[in-house]
Amino acid sequence: MSQLDINNMKNPKRAKYWWTFAAVTAFMAILYYIAFTETRLGAQRSIWESGPLLQRFFWDPFFMPEIHAKIPDYFGYMIETVAIAYAGTLMGAILAIPVGFLAAQNVGGHFSFIGKGVLNAVRAFPEILFAIIFVAAVGMGPFAGVLAISINSIGMLGKLYAEVIESIDMEIISTLKATGASKLQVLVYGVIPQVLPEFSSYALYRYEIDVRSSSVLGIVGAGGIGAPLILAANNRSFEEVGMMLFIIVLTVTVIDLISTNIRKRLV
Amino acid sequence: MIQFRNVSLTYPNGHKGLKNINLEIKDGEFVVIVGLSGAGKSTLIRSINQMVKPTDGELLIDGENTLKFSDRRLRSFRRNIGMIFQNYNLVKRSSVLRNVLAGRLGHTGTLRSIFSLFSQEDVKLALNSLDRVGIAEKAYIRADQLSGGQQQRVSIARALTQKPKLILADEPVASLDPPTSHAVMKDLKRINKEDNITMVVNLHAIDLSMQYADRIIGLRNGEVVFDGPASSVSEQTFEDIYGRPIKEDDLVGDVSNE
Repeated sequence: MSQLDINNMKNPKRAKYWWTFAAVTAFMAILYYIAFTETRLGAQRSIWESGPLLQRFFWDPFFMPEIHAKIPDYFGYMIETVAIAYAGTLMGAILAIPVGFLAAQNVGGHFSFIGKGVLNAVRAFPEILFAIIFVAAVGMGPFAGVLAISINSIGMLGKLYAEVIESIDMEIISTLKATGASKLQVLVYGVIPQVLPEFSSYALYRYEIDVRSSSVLGIVGAGGIGAPLILAANNRSFEEVGMMLFIIVLTVTVIDLISTNIRKRLV
Repeated sequence: MIQFRNVSLTYPNGHKGLKNINLEIKDGEFVVIVGLSGAGKSTLIRSINQMVKPTDGELLIDGENTLKFSDRRLRSFRRNIGMIFQNYNLVKRSSVLRNVLAGRLGHTGTLRSIFSLFSQEDVKLALNSLDRVGIAEKAYIRADQLSGGQQQRVSIARALTQKPKLILADEPVASLDPPTSHAVMKDLKRINKEDNITMVVNLHAIDLSMQYADRIIGLRNGEVVFDGPASSVSEQTFEDIYGRPIKEDDLVGDVSNE
């Protein structure tokens, strides 16, 4: 027989749990109070005014012939957006390979911190900042967008590539070396087949992200649908904005579906 | 001919893998190295092709001290040594044939091999190697589609395709079931006899060692504690090598010969 009275057992941590819970809740309530009083987070107009405005965004565009007439133009911009994302991702996905190898501990060795440092530095910037820099450097237009997207893709893909490379089976590498293969042969026959499916899968995933981000790069003049979007918004023609948003959502969804499907088969 | 002269190997962490090994392995011999795990079997076999490099002594192969080789010389020397591993070490996503052709990499120019431009003879040789281990029909299947025994045969075919003078096998049957173990050992034995390729094989199963070896070398704590023809070996010999009584686990079990 155990010494414990199992009918009256209590979790000894119970009291502590409730104290922690109360403290965290109070802390969050205080933060919320500060946020609302120190900044004007409250709605600037009443719900009754917002309703008709949202209707202008998401309902009216579908029934206005003058908006319908602009749909082909919008699709043109969207195609440019998708093309910017494609060019940027492709360039980034290829340039990320050498950086990823350098950053991988099992390839770069003592020098892998250089690759990792470069990748961390790149990832610290959001795309829109790169876009601003490149618009200033190479002028307005899609080329600036492509550069911004590709640099940013290197940041993420390089890190993911490096992780893939670090997880490969090194026994196969030493096996191939033991047959007298040269370094380049080991790379082509031992490393590439092990990493290629993951590399392509990550590049596709990155493409999904890049289509989304290239939609907004136009806001700073880097080409794509972002430019007419911000223009229409500034003119307060919300029906146009609504239609463009709809086209963006539609395209992004279709691309996500296709890419997810391909990625499932890759790995 | 492989000659170990006072070969020692100390790992960077201070562990002594091999202690003053003196051995001579003649061409065409089928040598089985036995010992408990950690006795230095892997270290001994891997020091022959310098996957690990001995820190002391001389390791002569056909009269040349291989420990003095430059990187380039070492690479061309390794072409002639096939190696087989417990885990097969195949590139799982590549086809069987591509895995077997990897055995020709040392003989093929880097540029040609990058574009998979193997000569017609090399492809024929690879297919022939697969045929010799009985799985030529699997040539265009991905390696990860095969069973363990089939994958080990692919790795034997890869070694054969190197046209080696010597094959090293590090626990080649440790991951296989008893019938497959016997089949793989028979393949190795047959290749040894037909091509006169020297075989150095690590095993821990006593019955397999006694059945297939010409000569048995026993290791304990990095030292050679037994060296003699397989015919002179009894279970008592193994108890001496292992330093403990034989257990059920030390045997693979006999399988009726098909």
